Amino acid sequence: MEPVLTEAARADVATAADSSAVSPGTTTTAHEKEQSLVAWLAARPSVILGFSGGVDSAYLACVALDVLGTARFLAVIGRSPSYPDAQWDAARALAAQFGIPVLEVDTHEMLDPNYVANPSNRCYFCKTELWSVLRAVADERGFHTIVDGSNADDTHDWRPGRQAAREHAVESPLAELGFTKEEIRALSRTRGLPTWSQPSSPCLSSRLPYGSAVTIERLEQVERAERALRALGIAGDLRVRHHGDLARVELAAGSLDTWLAAANLRSLVRAVRGAGFDRVSVDLKGFRSGSLNVLGAAGA
Amino acid sequence: MSAPSFAAALAAHGVDARVEARDALAIITVPNADAADRMRDADLRRTVVALAAQHGFKTVAIELARATDDRAALPGD
Repeated sequence: MEPVLTEAARADVATAADSSAVSPGTTTTAHEKEQSLVAWLAARPSVILGFSGGVDSAYLACVALDVLGTARFLAVIGRSPSYPDAQWDAARALAAQFGIPVLEVDTHEMLDPNYVANPSNRCYFCKTELWSVLRAVADERGFHTIVDGSNADDTHDWRPGRQAAREHAVESPLAELGFTKEEIRALSRTRGLPTWSQPSSPCLSSRLPYGSAVTIERLEQVERAERALRALGIAGDLRVRHHGDLARVELAAGSLDTWLAAANLRSLVRAVRGAGFDRVSVDLKGFRSGSLNVLGAAGA
Repeated sequence: MSAPSFAAALAAHGVDARVEARDALAIITVPNADAADRMRDADLRRTVVALAAQHGFKTVAIELARATDDRAALPGD
């Protein structure tokens, strides 16, 4: 079963969509922003997109394909060990379903000691590798503009990867035109994109505290644990934070009631232990994006 | 951050737990699955999180079982 938004989040998306209908002319609606996006894309000779198959890049890919066609648009998947295989499978499936032209390339951030050391600006080194690879692809194939799927909400968050984007002249039309995540979800829903209700899915390295080295083994541990928890039926937001021998599971706050029930503890513990963790814990505040940021550097 | 004072504060609220500090992360371990089940109560969770913050912790998690000792505490064994 695919993870989906909570009911509360679905309601927020519905509100974002409805706002377009009830307040025309008073604010820039989601649909007006989409028209601006169409014009933005049409003004570019050709566009290449960093494509993860997530909510934002999937929406941008579909609009870009509509505007530019397959001759002037290419979505590039940068394969990395820091993303779960399931994400690439989903990205490929989405591209096939919607006719999105896709190129897959490998990225090698794990060979960069700056990235592996997992400093607080780790994303900078990852994105530097990604955009360097995409720049080479763009130059080789004659694509004019490189874009990513960053949205306006991202500009308020700690995103050291933005610096790498700026250094490689990567443009972010969704952020530039003020698209919020909720608006992107609402517009994706209108287009019939299955990603509209998909939770955000940052890379697996985000599960490791800063200062805890990024290794293939740890990434795979996290991936196995999250896959096993999904298999139990856990939907919505989910993160397994890696604290060495201890896994700290973050679930959507609304589902803690279910998964802390005595009857469910055993299966939850078994799933996470099966991934190689000795100790299993559940965060009592529930999921929140970037929870490791507040903990700072931590030893594993 | 003080694990002992946090544990004492928990006890004062009727939560019998060991507290382990890992920097700003507090890991609380309760004696059995029934005690963990009590944390289904959202009000109690909010209280525990607030107490953790008062004692300098930014994050608090409940350990469900340790591989070495608490398997018997899990239901279904």
